[in-house]
Amino acid sequence: MAVKALHAISQGRNGVGAFILQCKRIDLHYCDWAGSSRGMNGFIKSLLPKFAAAHPEIEFTVSPRPAKHPVAIGHYINGRSKPICVRNMEPYEILKKLELLRDASGEKLKKVTKPVRSINESVRGIWSPYHGNGMPL
Amino acid sequence: MMKRLRIERATGQLLAARPGCPSTPGAALRSSYKCATQVAPVRYSSSSSAVETEPVYEEDGTDHSRFPPLEKLPPNTSTLPSPLPYRALESAKLSALHARLSLSPKIPLQTLARTLVDASADPNPLFNNSSLAFLGATIINYHASEWFMVHYPRLPMDVLFAAMAGLAGPAPLNRIAKSWGIEVAAAPGGEVDPGLLQFSLENPGESIAGFGYTRTVVDKINKNNWKRSVASKVIYDDDFGQLIMPRKAKESEDKAVEEDQGQGVYHEEAANPTPKFSPTSYGSSTTRELSEKAHANFARAVVGAVYTHCGRAAAKSFVKAHVLCRELDLERLFAFKHPTLELAMLCAREEFEPPVARLLSETGRLSRTPVFVVGVYSGNDKLGEGQGATLEQARLKAAMHALKAWYLYSPGEGAKVPSDVLEMETGGGGGGGGGGEQQGQGQGQQGKNKGWEPAYIDIGELISR
Repeated sequence: MAVKALHAISQGRNGVGAFILQCKRIDLHYCDWAGSSRGMNGFIKSLLPKFAAAHPEIEFTVSPRPAKHPVAIGHYINGRSKPICVRNMEPYEILKKLELLRDASGEKLKKVTKPVRSINESVRGIWSPYHGNGMPL
Repeated sequence: MMKRLRIERATGQLLAARPGCPSTPGAALRSSYKCATQVAPVRYSSSSSAVETEPVYEEDGTDHSRFPPLEKLPPNTSTLPSPLPYRALESAKLSALHARLSLSPKIPLQTLARTLVDASADPNPLFNNSSLAFLGATIINYHASEWFMVHYPRLPMDVLFAAMAGLAGPAPLNRIAKSWGIEVAAAPGGEVDPGLLQFSLENPGESIAGFGYTRTVVDKINKNNWKRSVASKVIYDDDFGQLIMPRKAKESEDKAVEEDQGQGVYHEEAANPTPKFSPTSYGSSTTRELSEKAHANFARAVVGAVYTHCGRAAAKSFVKAHVLCRELDLERLFAFKHPTLELAMLCAREEFEPPVARLLSETGRLSRTPVFVVGVYSGNDKLGEGQGATLEQARLKAAMHALKAWYLYSPGEGAKVPSDVLEMETGGGGGGGGGGEQQGQGQGQQGKNKGWEPAYIDIGELISR
């Protein structure tokens, strides 16, 4: 007789209320012998300390991967990861790649055709053919 | 085997866990960054210096100047149920989590590490998160319920319970904890990284989860599907109107605990009596339930930690930013049985004229796809409007629309909740504990910082069971 209740779970929207950076870990791999890692080694020596200090919410791990090209792998909250091979790159190019990893959401890349997506109700309502006076012809 | 060992030695994360970080809580965060960032140059110079000095080879062939051995854990670590508190300062994951949630530096990493230890991992309440989770649950539920009471004063009790469960119950808190990027330890133990969520799938553990009583007839309610009245749900059941299951007593030791805790506090574990697991049953409904419980308790414990170290205002802004800001469509929570009858009773109670349904417009009555638009009127006032493929359906939709418009009355976003008064007394302002922004609300408060205006509370739903 009385109103019964259904069950629903609230939906979160990152940035409404609190913002959580989606990149949670960046792995950096280098080789201290191969020439393709020269830029990576320079990056780790000179630029990484400052970059890591500026991004405390990201966990950085640095580990050698002998006889392989250097690689930077970003791990994201949604469980995906994004590896970028940085062979033969200069330190500042690698910094750009790390900024890319930091700013990514971890989602698969897809073409965004509509700039705004929202779960909010439309302020103007949905157009109805049964209301209003219609258009006089 | 040897290869595997080498890879583990090479992971920078373990290397980052260096002893010798200063142990003052305030410095913990900064120093841990330093630890993490220092890794790189040390690593690099060590590898380059390997050329100059003679490499030192271990018996397994590892060059220890290039691959420093793993840090030795304290001798009895693997016998402990959870990591030692001081190891929290060495965990890169933990300090990253601290920063990701923009927690105040007042919250030490040791406390954050404790929030990650579920009662099922470590039964000792001095080391697990049960006390913080209990505190956090009371704070979250308080803020959620006061928000609903003030913003939707006419919600029927059943819908209010469902709304509370949808916003602050275990399911949404589980999602919140997962959206913070928590990683789970494969099994709890003293040797795991303190930055991982630790809970056990073998033993459900027991944590104090909230207030409520176990009903004496709980078995019969379950067995015969007895109805529970709304009033009894308010008195006996938990904050979400859910039945509290009796604890499966582990006899002797539990009795003492029970006497200590007194009544009115229930333990959560009993909902799922000890399941039979094989290690391969990971991903079953029971393990999912345990995982959900552990994640939800972690989220609650973080709120409890914010409250403990940063105070009331910070805890409120944290709850607001992470829990109350989420989207929950209350319109979807209603399930009406006899909407027209209920609307007639509402009109009678409010001394409106009895509702009358009128056809506003129609199209294609004789076609395959007719549409009727029906409005419900009380005298000259239109209460609601609905459209459907039959006249009856449109009339019912119109009545439901009118009832929802009544039940979902809201005084607006600017309405003050009781806890705002506490902030006005203390001069307002959050302690910067959580990631919450209080700007919008703060500006609103400065404009009308007059004092408390009592919230409008309706006499409630029309028909209560």
